[in-house]
Amino acid sequence: MDTIDTVDAPLTRVAQPNGALTVNNARTEFRSKAELDRIRRHKQAQKAYGRGRRIDVKSVKDKKLRRNLTNLENKYKTATLKAKEAEILLENTSGFLEAETELERTYKVRQDDITKEVGIEVAQKKFELKLDQLGPYVCEYSRNGRDLILAGRKGHIATMDWREGKLGCELQLGETVRDARFLHNNQFFAVAQKKYVYIYDANGVELHCLKKHVEVSHMEFLPYHFLLATLSISGQLKYQDTSTGQIVTEIPTKLGTPVSLTQNPYNAVLHVGQQNGTVTLWSPNSAEPLVKLLAHRGPVRSLAVDREGRYMVSAGQDNRMAIWDVRNFKEAVSSYFTRSPASSVAISDTGLTAVGWGTKTTVWKGLFSKEKPVQEKVQSPYMAWGGEGHSIERVRWCPYEDALGIGHTEGFSSIIIPGAGEANYDALEVNPFETKKQRQEGEVKGLLNKLQPEMIALDPNFIGNLDLRSEQQRKADRDLDSPAVDIAEEIRNRARGKNGALKKYLRKQRKKNIIDEKRLKAEEMYKQLQEKQDERHKERQAELGPALARFARKE
Amino acid sequence: MPGRQSHGRPLLPSGGSNTNPGARGKSHAKTFKKSRAKATAKALDAFALAAEQVPDSTRGVRTRGLEDDDDGDSRPQKRQRQHGGDDEDDGEGFDEDEADNGGGGMRKKGRRDEDAFDGFSDDDGAGSDSEEWHVGVGAEDEDSELDSDEAFGESDEERFEGYAFGGSRSKGKKGGKKRGGGEEEEEEDEEDDLESLGSDAIDLATALDQFSEDEEEGGEEEGSEEEDEESTDGDNESEEDGDDADPSKMDALESMIAGFGGEDEEEDEQTGTQNKTKLSLKDLGLAGVKDPHMKRSLRLMNKEEKAVKPGSSKKLEVPLAKRQQDRLLRSAAYAETNKTLDKWIETVKHNRRADHLVFPLAQNAHDRGLDSGELMPITQKTSGTELEQTILAIMEESGLGPSAKPEKKEGDGEGQPKLSQAEQQEIARQRRREREIHSREAARAKRIKKIKSKAYRRIHRKELLREEEAEHEAALAAGELDSDDEREALDRRRAEERMGTRHRESKWAKLGKKAGRAVWDDNFRAGLTEMARRKEDLRRRIEGQAGGSGDDDEGSDVSDASGDEDPRRRLLAQLERAAEYDDDDEPRSKLMQMKFMQRGEEMRKKENDEAIAELRRQLDSDDEMESDAEEVEIGRRQFGMGNSTAPAKPAESKKAKAAGVRGPASSAIAVPAESSSSTRGAGDAWASAEPVSSASGTAGVWSQVESSGRKSKKGGKTKADELDISNVAAVLVKPQPKPKSRSTAAAPENGDQDSDDDDVHLPLAIRDQKLIERAFAGEDVHGQFEEEKAEVEQEDDEKEIDNTLPGWGNWVGDGVSAREKRRHQGRFITKVEGVKKKDRKDFKLKDVIISEKRIRKNDKYLASQLPHPFESQQQYERSLRLPVGPEWSTKETFQDATKPRVIIKQGIIAPMSKPMY
Repeated sequence: MDTIDTVDAPLTRVAQPNGALTVNNARTEFRSKAELDRIRRHKQAQKAYGRGRRIDVKSVKDKKLRRNLTNLENKYKTATLKAKEAEILLENTSGFLEAETELERTYKVRQDDITKEVGIEVAQKKFELKLDQLGPYVCEYSRNGRDLILAGRKGHIATMDWREGKLGCELQLGETVRDARFLHNNQFFAVAQKKYVYIYDANGVELHCLKKHVEVSHMEFLPYHFLLATLSISGQLKYQDTSTGQIVTEIPTKLGTPVSLTQNPYNAVLHVGQQNGTVTLWSPNSAEPLVKLLAHRGPVRSLAVDREGRYMVSAGQDNRMAIWDVRNFKEAVSSYFTRSPASSVAISDTGLTAVGWGTKTTVWKGLFSKEKPVQEKVQSPYMAWGGEGHSIERVRWCPYEDALGIGHTEGFSSIIIPGAGEANYDALEVNPFETKKQRQEGEVKGLLNKLQPEMIALDPNFIGNLDLRSEQQRKADRDLDSPAVDIAEEIRNRARGKNGALKKYLRKQRKKNIIDEKRLKAEEMYKQLQEKQDERHKERQAELGPALARFARKE
Repeated sequence: MPGRQSHGRPLLPSGGSNTNPGARGKSHAKTFKKSRAKATAKALDAFALAAEQVPDSTRGVRTRGLEDDDDGDSRPQKRQRQHGGDDEDDGEGFDEDEADNGGGGMRKKGRRDEDAFDGFSDDDGAGSDSEEWHVGVGAEDEDSELDSDEAFGESDEERFEGYAFGGSRSKGKKGGKKRGGGEEEEEEDEEDDLESLGSDAIDLATALDQFSEDEEEGGEEEGSEEEDEESTDGDNESEEDGDDADPSKMDALESMIAGFGGEDEEEDEQTGTQNKTKLSLKDLGLAGVKDPHMKRSLRLMNKEEKAVKPGSSKKLEVPLAKRQQDRLLRSAAYAETNKTLDKWIETVKHNRRADHLVFPLAQNAHDRGLDSGELMPITQKTSGTELEQTILAIMEESGLGPSAKPEKKEGDGEGQPKLSQAEQQEIARQRRREREIHSREAARAKRIKKIKSKAYRRIHRKELLREEEAEHEAALAAGELDSDDEREALDRRRAEERMGTRHRESKWAKLGKKAGRAVWDDNFRAGLTEMARRKEDLRRRIEGQAGGSGDDDEGSDVSDASGDEDPRRRLLAQLERAAEYDDDDEPRSKLMQMKFMQRGEEMRKKENDEAIAELRRQLDSDDEMESDAEEVEIGRRQFGMGNSTAPAKPAESKKAKAAGVRGPASSAIAVPAESSSSTRGAGDAWASAEPVSSASGTAGVWSQVESSGRKSKKGGKTKADELDISNVAAVLVKPQPKPKSRSTAAAPENGDQDSDDDDVHLPLAIRDQKLIERAFAGEDVHGQFEEEKAEVEQEDDEKEIDNTLPGWGNWVGDGVSAREKRRHQGRFITKVEGVKKKDRKDFKLKDVIISEKRIRKNDKYLASQLPHPFESQQQYERSLRLPVGPEWSTKETFQDATKPRVIIKQGIIAPMSKPMY
């Protein structure tokens, strides 16, 4: 008897008090090795690439539907198996530093030791930029990890292709810079300056001044929605569509000056760390936070969400670092401490967590793992860096590289952290080695595939789901009391202002090839207008008399 | 058709006179009175049925004219017939017809029979000898004929009275007409004959032939025949069984013969009633026919009969009525057609369900059935196409063809001595043997390798073990590795280490010395004394076993001053006891037997165990060591040395836990722990803080620390630290009398619960943590958050709004009794839907508020109703989960998903030639 985990009847594993686990599919009959192998393979594939629980096809009454659904299930199955099989194409493997003996500790390994051992090309990834004049530096990488932007507090901005060491542009803005961020590719970047947010292109030419974003302290860019989200000191959260230039939403968070901001790459929800120790989750679609969770006792200094959107790491002023499961908002592990409040947290592709605190940076491995049912506390960090007196401002992982960028008071340091980057990049997604042409094509493709801001929700799979409200509820929501829209009034309001604006508007409306109520109304209005004019004209003619009537001016 | 001819023919030689020409003629006449068109109209349905069964639909009424053109003989007669007004004319016409066609028709028929009767074994005989056959009908035959006639009973007549005859007549004609259309002229002639014979054509022979024909041929002939029969059936009622009445038979015979002889119509009419009597060979007196021709036909007749119904009695079954037969035929034909159509059902189904269809179909491909897997050499035989043949010829010509090769080989073979059969076999055997040996060797090598590696490993392991043992023994012999000795040695080493590096030369000490703090700073002095004490302790340890280890067990309850001797030991012992306590089983109360309680206890137990284990680990390791796993960077220490906190913390946490779980034992454990920590603080000047700290609760502690911190401001960080520790101790000491109540009360008050989870191996961090907790303790974050959550819950919850207006329907103001007021309260209540507290998503989540408000902007991406074929939401939503794009699936999956349903390749798309499944 095979019990299957289906949507209708999900298998729940009830933890027994004695810690025993219920076995659902106890194997009673003998199976051939090949079959066992097949089953195992399928299970693995399902675990790695499965798309949720299957539906119980047998209970479907309609024959045709049953067949279609069976086919669909088969498709799911083959798709997962194929995906699993395609893993063979992921030829690059990533590896971590490993201690040979129990006495050895990976965190004792210094950067010099690593650079000595690795090849020249890799060793070049470790570098230091000494920029001690213009304050603590924040750093950000572009999406494909090729470009780096450094923004010094005192107005120094520099972009560079960091692997080649080529400087893109360098600016001295002469005013406070709070944050800087690349937009969808390395061609544009936004800088949160003293008052407004500015957008510059790759050559450092100022393209836009976003005057609606005042005193912005944190910025995030949502690459699939082309939204630039800014968080101001006053707590205003604003979303601006960078493809159309429209402001999508302005939300007052009403929770005081925010301390930290990050995005969940899985569902494009923004996580804002507040002064009072709460983390609030925002989407552009609601005026109040989707979720509010109390993470720390003091201000939440820094936040990071892992690539899959499962775990969030938060670091607070109370010296604690907590791991959250953000899918069900439970604290996975809470008992990590930093010696001094962490200033920045970042999670790499492979799940390494870098914590910058004081003058040091600690890298943790295996803080969370989706394979484990219960997260365990890691006893010692993976790697460590610093302690040389520059207080860390920001840590950022370079995508697809084993490099960690650290912006600090004395400039910028890039260090090598083995195993941090995703070894097998997906060129359809982001290509670290893209050519100019590919970049351009990617940009167009990205714009074509742009997601609407309304699609942002905690569960990004909600699109197409069934609206579960009852008809009654829907009717109630429709707000039947609202007065019907008076089109004429609307048109008049629309065309208020300049003389002749109404005429122009009407003319335009009439040119429209869609005949709808609005257009009919416009037509009518236009006719009335015309008649009125004629009348006036006639009056004028009459005034002038029959002989001079011809000189009556027509409007 | 053959049927008709078969009985048409014998009539002709006999002078065209039938048994019932008159009757036929009459009926003919009747029909001809009405116009033909009318008749056809009447019989339209029947005709349609017949037409259905006729394979060639092109045969129509109009072909009639063409036929007419062809044979000159019949035309005028037909005209005559058509235009003739009365019976006589018609009858004459018939006669003439018969006479005209007499000789010629016979000849033709003779020829024609051969091709028309292909299917029949006895065609020839029947065809050529039908005449005789007719004359000398066997006795057995009569029955069958009669039966067939009788089959059309009264009821049928009644049924068909209105239209059947006319319709059938005309139909018969039409059938005749139709037949002629696409076939040879001869046939047409025949038809004309038949046509002219028309009704006369029915006779015994018909009846005899009928059933066999019925079986083997389509409906058309039958239709016409049946009709003919029907026409004659008018008088069937009067007929009886042939077996009984001999005299009547004789009469019938006579009349029949007279009929053959071509009597006039009146006679015909008279005999018409009897025209279907049975005739036997005997009756005809043909039993002793001498003519060999006749004999043969007779024999054939007998044979045929036997062959046809071997088992049955000599009677023929009464044939069903024409209509019924038709119906049967139709149903049979329908079933047959269905069967042929059903063959396609599977194919159609498959194609309908198929994900993809490719045209042209594979079954129509020119290379269908060819195995493309293996290429065979083309030889003269296999070369199919012209191209292949030509190429082969060219190859042949240039000596490269397949035939050229063997020659060469032969030439080669001749050079070598030919091997005999035995030799060849020998060679083959040899090779096989070699192969076998090789494989066996390989297998053996593998096994040996395995064995070897196993053995190798085993040996090595043993060796290693032996070495180790030897070493150990040597060590024992040297007396340096007794378990106690060992421990001591380790202790010693550690102590020395500490002595050397940490204490005297610690930064704190150095700095203190440098600044001369001991002079003015009490804190520092306290630290120094502490240091001295420690030093002493360590020295003692270096010298030998700690003196204080004796009072492990007993003195634990008392907070003795000597507790600092070896607190770890004592703690260990306590742990031991705690563990023991954990283990024993006591009878449980009802409450404790409940599942959740058990579960809770289980969890707690686990926690305890963990804590104990951790503690043990901690205690085993050096408390001074910088092995704080969490904060790895050794770096600068910010808060001086917090060495003594390590035991204090675990003790505290353990106590808290233990207290939570079990009353007496925990207190027993707790007390010594506290005492141990408190004793540490007792030495310094800050012990005086104890009375102050009597106020329970952490807030109090904080304030206290603040005050003391203020005091110690000049003392610098380290002092504050020390103070802090002492305070911890103080707080812990204070609630000794009621540990349980304290811990339970303190926990919810201030969100301090997480202190349980706090890391125990991190003395420094913990100490920092404590500080920080206190730093943030002033703000009751958790409490505020809970309040907020409660508010939100309240707001979202279902609400009842009292819309009652005071004074509406009741009196208000002074003098209205309270009862009256109450009565009117809550008369108009509206209920506002909301989310109940227990339905909230964050119901079970601590410190989380999940908004329950619907996000309107997301609504536009929701489906308003369940799309048609789906039965449930799950099914529908599941169907959406499979992404199509290349980004989310492999290339193969993507291509499969986007492949068009119907793929049309270039080429001629022929229809399916046969069912595929």
